[in-house]
This record gives sequence, structure tokens and C-alpha cells, in this order.
Amino acid sequence: MTLSVSGLSTERSGRIILHPTSLSIEPSARIGLVGPSGSGKSTLGHALIDDLHRQGRIVAHVPQSPDEALDPLRTMRFHWHEAEAALGLPHDAPRQQQLFSALGIAHGDLRKRPWGWSRGMQQRFVIAMALIGSPELIVLDEPTSALDPVVAADSMDLLDRFLSGRQTAMILITHDLALAAQRVSQLMVMDNGCLVEQASTSALLNTPKTKAAKALSAHRNWMPHPC
Amino acid sequence: MLNVDNISVRRGKSPALQDISLTIEKGKTLAVVGESGAGKSTLIASILGMLKPWCGTITWSGSPVRTCRPALVMQEPRAAFNPAWLLKQSVLEPVIARQSNLPPKRLKRLCAGLELTPDLLNRKPTEISIGQAQRMGILRALIAAPPLILFDEPLSALDAVTQKHTARLIAHLQAEEGFAALIVTHDLGYACAHSEEIAVLKSGRIEEVSTPQDFIASPKTKYGRKLRDAAVSLGALERAA
Repeated sequence: MTLSVSGLSTERSGRIILHPTSLSIEPSARIGLVGPSGSGKSTLGHALIDDLHRQGRIVAHVPQSPDEALDPLRTMRFHWHEAEAALGLPHDAPRQQQLFSALGIAHGDLRKRPWGWSRGMQQRFVIAMALIGSPELIVLDEPTSALDPVVAADSMDLLDRFLSGRQTAMILITHDLALAAQRVSQLMVMDNGCLVEQASTSALLNTPKTKAAKALSAHRNWMPHPC
Repeated sequence: MLNVDNISVRRGKSPALQDISLTIEKGKTLAVVGESGAGKSTLIASILGMLKPWCGTITWSGSPVRTCRPALVMQEPRAAFNPAWLLKQSVLEPVIARQSNLPPKRLKRLCAGLELTPDLLNRKPTEISIGQAQRMGILRALIAAPPLILFDEPLSALDAVTQKHTARLIAHLQAEEGFAALIVTHDLGYACAHSEEIAVLKSGRIEEVSTPQDFIASPKTKYGRKLRDAAVSLGALERAA
């Protein structure tokens, strides 16, 4: 079922940081939310999650760094059970095994605390936690920026593979248009707290209309042509 | 010229770097890439003399590196500054340490190039954004025109557009002033666009050293290929046809 929100806005210290925004997200959609630092991407992500929760929809969030999601004093098993309990679900070992295998962390020792796992494994564990309740939407906020390239690419490939053929929609929040372009079919561009442009990935890369989209498109590659 | 000659460094009992040899000519840039924990930051700490190799030598034109007063751009932008000081004090500290005179308009010019408004200099590190703090770190490294600058993930907190502007400013100043640069980064796109050579580090050893062109077209090692393919899949590199 399509997810819809309308009139989302956020104010902080008397300043509007997200102007009224309406969105609809189709099942299985792959959307990139891009824009410069401070443009309101994460704010829109949070406002969207809050609104959809209020509508009773199942939405999951993966923050930039696993440090934001994992308590260093708790074991990985505790985190997993806590995530299941938060969704009101009983412990389901086969589901856990399926998610762990899909994300390549089946060999991880759940008795350990987060720092006993590599950062790449921690981030994939957080993504697996986010997928526990078969969410209608998963919002990933700069999910690979804390990882080295090999681990980052592996994590995104595993997630892509897991989501393919499922109804779960994905929003990838990133400042990096080149990264988004590899992973999503639609792009939404934020600038100064406003959603200024929405288009298919190819249309936005080839014919950006707004100033923000033009800047992102022009600066998406370090080298316009291979060296 | 920076000359790292066959160094090995231990952290605790385990080897962190083994048999590393590198040179960087004046005006040139070497990018060091590799997985987390490969020893990239250890290499920087060794060049700065903060870690002592148990064998091998590191010199700047035949003298100890400290004699050239190298600059460092640290990975953690806010932690790189004294929290009790105004940023102006920290940024100008290298000029005072070198007992050199700041050419007129240099601070203004660098601030403009780094898209930092001068009023930010009168704030403390916690009063600016992380991206601004990272550019302040670059400003501090550039201000006294050192002959060698070590950049540890210098653009990681910046957005894609600001990254490119900042990298271009650094390259422009390097062409003018001729400093040697070592960049440690996860971003293969940045490494390939702004260096003469790429060194791939894995488990404390250099797997390969190539020009960016050769690295993109045909990495010499299995890990180099994995790294190149990952960068292509993340959109950081376009693969050569």
C-alpha cells in the first residue's frame, strides 16, 4: 500500500528547518534523498518516520553510524531481543538466522558487545535489526559513510539483494549523488529545508532543473571522465 | 622530499606496519587507501614521530621530519582543536610556532576559498558545525605554508559539492606553494583525482603503488581490484573502458 504524508514541517528555535512537504512512496520504491549539508535531508527523514509511525505504519531507520544505534555496554543478543520486543514480536530464531545470512553476519558472536564486532558487521547488524518487522519503509541515513569502500559496497549489495522482490520501500539519504545514482531509481533533492525537485534518477542526472540539483549533478564525480 | 625507508612499526606487541617504503617529492601528492585498521593512521603517526619505527628511517630531505614542521589535518574535526580556545588562536598557532609573518590577506583569502566566514574564527570549536570544523583544520594546516602536509580523511565531514571545492583549493595552493602532501582516505574518487600516486595498504603492508590511471584501469593485486570495484559500485569512480 502506498505510504503518504502531507504538510510535514519542522521548526527549531523559532526557525523553520523543514517547510511543508508532502510525499507518497510506492511499495518497493528505491528513492534517494539528496542535498547539501544542512539542507534538511535528515530532518525530513525523521519527520517522515514520525508521521508514518503515527499512522500505524511499520517504518525502520538506520542511522549514519552504528554507534548511534548500539549501546556499548549491551551484548548483540540483548540488542536483537530488545528490537523484537519493541515491535511486540516474540523471539524468532529462524527469522534471525535468515536476516543474518542475508546480510552476511551469520558468523557473528551474539554474546559479544558491539565493539567486539567490526564496524562493517555492526552496521549490517543494525540494518538486520531494522528489517525484523518486515517494514513497509526503511530509511537509511548516510549508511555507508562510516565504512571503508569494500565493506560499504558489500553492505549495500547485500541489502539490495535482500530487498529485491519484497514490498519494503527504501529511502537512501545521502549528500553523494553518485552513490545514490547507483542504488535508486528516483531522486528527491532538498535545499534550504524544501523539497525542490523530484525526478527519476536518469532524468535528474541528465536534465536537472533546479540550482541545487544542477550543483549536485555537476559535482557528482571527482573526474568527469576516467583518467 | 619525504623518504620513508623500509619502516616497521609495532603497536603493543602486534606489527602495525611492515616494510613500508614511500617517497613524496615536493609539490606531489601520494594517496594512501585501504581497509579500516590497515595502518593508514599509524603511518601518519610514524611520519610525525609520534610512533617510533623499530626499524627503518623516515626523513625529510635527509633530516628528521620534525625539522620541516609538517602540518596535520586530523580525522576528528572537533577533537583537533583546543575546546577552550577561540578558533583564531588555534588557526594562527602554526604561524606563531614558526615565528613567521602572516602575509597580508592570506587568512582572508584562505577563509574565502574554504567558504568560511571570518566571524567563525571568533567562535569555539563546539560553536561551529562539524563540516566547518573540518575546513578550519585544513585552514590551520595551510596557513603557515608548510613544506609537508599530512591529510587524514580531510573531507569526510563535507558534502559532495564542498568536498570538490575544498580539494580544488588545496590543489591550487599546492601548485603555487609546492608542498608535498600525503592523503589518507577511504574515498577512491578523491584519491584518484588529486594525487600522482596511490598506495594500497592492507594489514600493515603496501600491496601496490600505482598511478591513478593504472589503478583505475588495472589494479595489480586482488585487494586493489576489490577496492576499485567497490569504489565503482559506490559511484566514487567511473571504471575505465
